Amino acid sequence: MFAFSDKRPEISPDLRAALRPITLAKTKLIPLADPWGSFVPDGGLRRGSTVVVQAPAGWGGLSVALSLLSEASACGHWSAVVGVDDPGVSAIVDLGLDLRRVLFVPRPRGAWAEAAADLLDGVDLVVVRPPSKAAHGAARKLMDRVRERGAVLVALTEPTAPWPLPAELSFDITNARWVTSSRLEARYLTVRVGGRGNAARSNEHVVLLPDRSGRAVAS
Amino acid sequence: MERLLGLWVDDLIEERPDGSSLRTFADLLDVLVDICPFVEPIRLGFLTLPLRGPSRFFGGDEAVFAAVRAAVRDVTGGDARIGVAEGLFATELATRQCTVVPAGGSAAFRRAQALEVLGRKELTTTGRRLGLYTVGAFADLPPARVNERFSGAVRVVHRVARGEIHELPDQRDRRLPQQLRALRGTVHHVDEQSGFFGQRTAGDDRAAAAVYRLRHRLGAEGVLVAELHGGRSPDDRARLVPWDAPRTTKLDPAPWPGQLGAPTPTTSFAHPVAVEIFDESGAPVRFSGRGQLSGVPSSVALTRGNPRRVAWSAGPWPLVERWWTAPRRRAHVQIVLEDGIALLLTTEASRWWLTGMYD
Repeated sequence: MFAFSDKRPEISPDLRAALRPITLAKTKLIPLADPWGSFVPDGGLRRGSTVVVQAPAGWGGLSVALSLLSEASACGHWSAVVGVDDPGVSAIVDLGLDLRRVLFVPRPRGAWAEAAADLLDGVDLVVVRPPSKAAHGAARKLMDRVRERGAVLVALTEPTAPWPLPAELSFDITNARWVTSSRLEARYLTVRVGGRGNAARSNEHVVLLPDRSGRAVAS
Repeated sequence: MERLLGLWVDDLIEERPDGSSLRTFADLLDVLVDICPFVEPIRLGFLTLPLRGPSRFFGGDEAVFAAVRAAVRDVTGGDARIGVAEGLFATELATRQCTVVPAGGSAAFRRAQALEVLGRKELTTTGRRLGLYTVGAFADLPPARVNERFSGAVRVVHRVARGEIHELPDQRDRRLPQQLRALRGTVHHVDEQSGFFGQRTAGDDRAAAAVYRLRHRLGAEGVLVAELHGGRSPDDRARLVPWDAPRTTKLDPAPWPGQLGAPTPTTSFAHPVAVEIFDESGAPVRFSGRGQLSGVPSSVALTRGNPRRVAWSAGPWPLVERWWTAPRRRAHVQIVLEDGIALLLTTEASRWWLTGMYD
C-alpha cells in the first residue's frame, strides 16, 4: 500500500544512480532565508530532516511552511506542496518561491503520505499537510524515507492533530496579530522554534509574515 | 463554461516545406488579435477564441463570424470553417462540422459523436464489439469497468467523453507556440518557455521522474504547476495547470491597475464558498451601485454555521473588469475574525463569496 513497500517495482541500479542526489545527505544544508536561518542551529535545513510547522487554522502556518522553502526554491531546488487544497499562487510568488520549480498536489485523496513519498524521490523539499492526524506508522515511514533520500520534509499540522513523532526542528505558532490600516498591512507571528539535539532549547521569536511585500522579516 | 469559437482553415493545416502555412497562420493570428486579444492557436490551421466578449463588442455572434471570415479572406484569400461549442474537444468537432452548438448544448453534442472522434483505434474496435458506437454510450460506462478493460490512455479519453476533461491530451500542437515565436524573431525566449523543464538539469530530470510516477498514482491532473497571469483579483492572477499542460503565457509581472497588492491570500479558493455578512443590527450587508457597503460588517456566517464575529474589516475595493465583456460588478472586502483569522471576501450580484484566506 505504501509507495515504498516491498510491492514497489525495483529500480534498476543505473537508474538509481542517476536519481541519487549529487551531494550526499550530510554534506549539505539546504539554505534557509532570513529570518528563519538565524533561528536554527545550523543556519539552514539539514538534508534528511523533518520540520514540523504547527499552527491553529488560519494563523499563518501555511505562510511559515512555504516561507521556509523560499530561499531553497530561489536557489534552484525543486519543492512540492502536498495536500494544500487551493494554494494562493500569487502569495507564494510574493513569499519568494520560484514557481517554475514547485509542484502542487492539491488533492492527493487518501494518498497524501504515498504522494509525499513519491515526491521525495524527485524534489528536495516537500511540504505536506495531512488531512487529519497522521498515523504513527505513516509518519515514521515518511521520515525514514526523508532520511534515506536526503530531502527535507515540512509537515504542516494543527495543534488538534499534531505530528505524531518528534522532529529535528519545530516551528510552533503561538500568536497571530494583524497590523491594519485601511487594509491588511502585515501580521506579527509569535513562533516558538524548537527541536531535537542542538535545536532542543526552544526560543520564541516574533516574525512579520506577511510584511507589506508578502515576505517574512524579523520584527 | 465559456463558449469558444473555433476557426479551421483547410488551406493551412498542411505544413508546407517552405513554411508558408506557418507564416500565413501567424499573419492570421495578428489580424484576429484585433478582434479578440485572447485568440489561441491550437494546431496549424486551427485556433479558438472566446466568443462572449467579442460578441458583445460586435453586437452578436453573427457579427463576430462575419468579422472573422473577413479576416481570413483578407489574409488567405480563402474561406474557413467556423464552429462554436464549450470546451476545446467539442469546439474542434463543431468547427470541423461547421456547427454552432447553442450554449449549454455541448454535452449533448459531444455525446452524439461517433466513437472514432476520440482518436483511439483500440477503443473504436473494442467499443464496436461491445455495441458502443457513440461517445455518449462510452461515457456511460462506469470508470471502474473502463479501468479494467483499457489502458491508461483510454482512461483519460473516457474522462474527456464524460466531460470531466475538456480536451484530448494530444489535441494541441505543443511545438506550435515555439514555432510561432521563432518566426517572430523572439527565439531567445525559448529557453524559458520551451517547456516546463526548459533548461534541463539533473534536478529537473529527477523531478520529472517523480512526477511521472505520481501521475500514475493520482491521474493526469494530480500534479499541478502554477501559471501566472495579469489579472486583478488573486484568483485571476494565477492558476494551476496539470504539469505538462501547454503553457499559454509567460510570467507577467506587470501589475494590472486595480490589483490588490500584497499581502495576497495564501489560500485562494478555486470554488468560492457562499457566505453571508451582517451588520450590527443583523441586516445583511450589501454592496451598493455607488460602490459602498450598506453597513459595517459585524459578523460573517460561513456555510450554515453560527455567525462568527468580525473584529475588523476594510473595503470595498470595487473591480470593473474588461470593459468589452459583460460588466461584472465585483468588489473585495478584507475581514479579520475575532480569533485572528483574516479572510478575503468578494461580492457579486448581491451575493458574498469567501475567495481567500490569509493562512
